Amino acid sequence: MNASGKPSTIAGTRADCGSDAALAARLAARDPAALREAITLYAASLQRIAFRMTGDAHEAEDLVQEAMLRLWDQAPKIAARHPVESQAAAALRLGGWLNRVVTNLAIDRLRRGRRMSAGEVPDREDEAPLADALIEAGERDHSARALIAALPERQRAAIVLTYYEDMSNAAAAEALEMNIKAFESLLLRARTTLRRAYADFGEGGAQ
Amino acid sequence: MSTNDIIAGSPLARRLDDYPVPDLSAGFADRVLAAAAARAAPLPDLRRPGGGEGRGWRLGRRLAIATFGFSAIASAAAATGMLDRIDIAVPSAERVWTSITGKQPVAAAPVLAAAQSADAAPKAPVVFDGQIDTPEELNEAFRRIEDVRQGRIKARRERQDERIEQAIERRRAAGLPVPSAEELARQRQRIDEVQAIRQQRADERIKARRDELERKVESGEVLTREDIVRPLRDDQRAMDRRERMVRLRQMTPQQRREALRNLPPQQRRALIEEYRNLGNAPDTDGAVAIPDNATPETAPVEESPPPQP
Repeated sequence: MNASGKPSTIAGTRADCGSDAALAARLAARDPAALREAITLYAASLQRIAFRMTGDAHEAEDLVQEAMLRLWDQAPKIAARHPVESQAAAALRLGGWLNRVVTNLAIDRLRRGRRMSAGEVPDREDEAPLADALIEAGERDHSARALIAALPERQRAAIVLTYYEDMSNAAAAEALEMNIKAFESLLLRARTTLRRAYADFGEGGAQ
Repeated sequence: MSTNDIIAGSPLARRLDDYPVPDLSAGFADRVLAAAAARAAPLPDLRRPGGGEGRGWRLGRRLAIATFGFSAIASAAAATGMLDRIDIAVPSAERVWTSITGKQPVAAAPVLAAAQSADAAPKAPVVFDGQIDTPEELNEAFRRIEDVRQGRIKARRERQDERIEQAIERRRAAGLPVPSAEELARQRQRIDEVQAIRQQRADERIKARRDELERKVESGEVLTREDIVRPLRDDQRAMDRRERMVRLRQMTPQQRREALRNLPPQQRRALIEEYRNLGNAPDTDGAVAIPDNATPETAPVEESPPPQP
C-alpha cells in the first residue's frame, strides 16, 4: 500500500473517469452507501487476487475486508487530493489503488505466515493429515493452486496480476510499486519458475 | 507477445486456468460496513506533509541547532585543552585576527608578563611564564622589573609622607611639640639621602646581576624564572636580619640595648654593621641610636626589600 495514501493512477477496469473521485468524496463524507457501492465495484476482483495469492478463501476475504476498510480510512485524504471536477479527479483510479493495497497485504500475510512457528504453543492438537486427506492433498498438489504456491510471493503476484487479472505490465508494475524493467525481469523469472514447477509435477512439456 | 508468454490453450495454461475462485461469502458487504462503523478514526499523521512552506523553516532550524551545538562542543573542547591533547592546533585569537587583517600584532614580551603598571598596587608579582634565551628578552625582563621597582618606590614615598603627616597630627592632638618646618625639612632630606644610598646599592646589585645574566645568555644559556629570582630570595640570613632590625626599632631604647646584649657577639656585630651601612650610628654601648620621633617607616630598614627581579 502506498504509505502516503496516494491513490494509484493506473487504469481501472470498471470505474469511469471522474466517477471514482465522486465516490471518494462520498466516502470522505462517511456515506455508508458509498462504501457499499465500492464493495460492489471492486470486492470481486480483489477477492480473486487475494485468493490466488493466498490459496485460502477465508484469508482472502479478510484481506479484501482490510483493503476496503483502508479505503474508508484514507478516503478523506484521497478526496482532498482529487477534488471532484478537477484534472486530478480524472486521473483517480480507486481500482488500481485497491489492487495495490490487497496485493501488498497478501504478500505481507504470506511472509508473516512463513515466519510464524507453532512450535512454542504447548499441547497442540495433532494436525497430521489422515489418509484420505493425504490422497486429496496429493491430487491438489498437481493443481494450479500448487503451481502458484510454488512461486515466491512477488513472483506469485506478478503471475496473478498479469495472467489472471490480465493487467498490462505497467499496471502490474505500479501495483507492485516497481519500475517496468524490474517488473519485466520479475515476470520472466516467475514464468521460468512456473514452468519448472509444472515440469517437476510430471506433466512435462511446459508451454 | 514474447516467447516467454504463457500461450493460451497450452497444457500449462489449461492447468492454470483450472483455478476457480470462490465467491465472497454472503453478507460480506454488511460485515465490512459494520466494521467501518466500529472502526476508530485514523490517527493524524505524525509528521506534517513535506514540501510545504514550513519545511524550509524546519530544515533551517535544525541546521542552526546543529551548527550551534557543534560550535559549543568545539569551543568547550578548545577551552579545556582537549584538542591540544589530540594534536589539533587551535589558533589564538590574535593569529586569526592577523590572518584576517594582514597586520602583524605588536610583539609582546615572549617570556614575561608584568602583572601591573607603575601606578598599580606595588606588591603585584612579576610573573614568569617561559624561558629567557635572548638579550632582547632579558632586556625586556629587566625593563619590567624596573617598572615595578619604580612603582614601589613611588608608593613607598607616598606612604611615608602620609604617615609623617599622621604622626605630626597625633602629636599635635596630644599637646606634644611638633617639629618645625626646618626640622621637618631636615628629616625629609635625611630620608631622601638614605633612600638614595639604598637605591644606589640596589642599582649596583641589579646591574651586577644583570651583567652576570647577560653573560649567561650570550653564552647560549637559557634562563628561567628561578635563575633571576632565587639568588635574592635565598638570602635568608639577610631577611632574618632585616626582620630582627624591624623588631629592634619597635622597642624602647632600653629594650633594644638588652636585646642586642642577648645576641651572640657575631650576630650583634653583623646587625650593628648593617645598620651602619644603612646610615645609622649605633650607641656607644652597642645599641642603635634612633630618633624617638622617627616613625618606623622613615627608616630605610623598614622599607620593603629591594625589588627582586
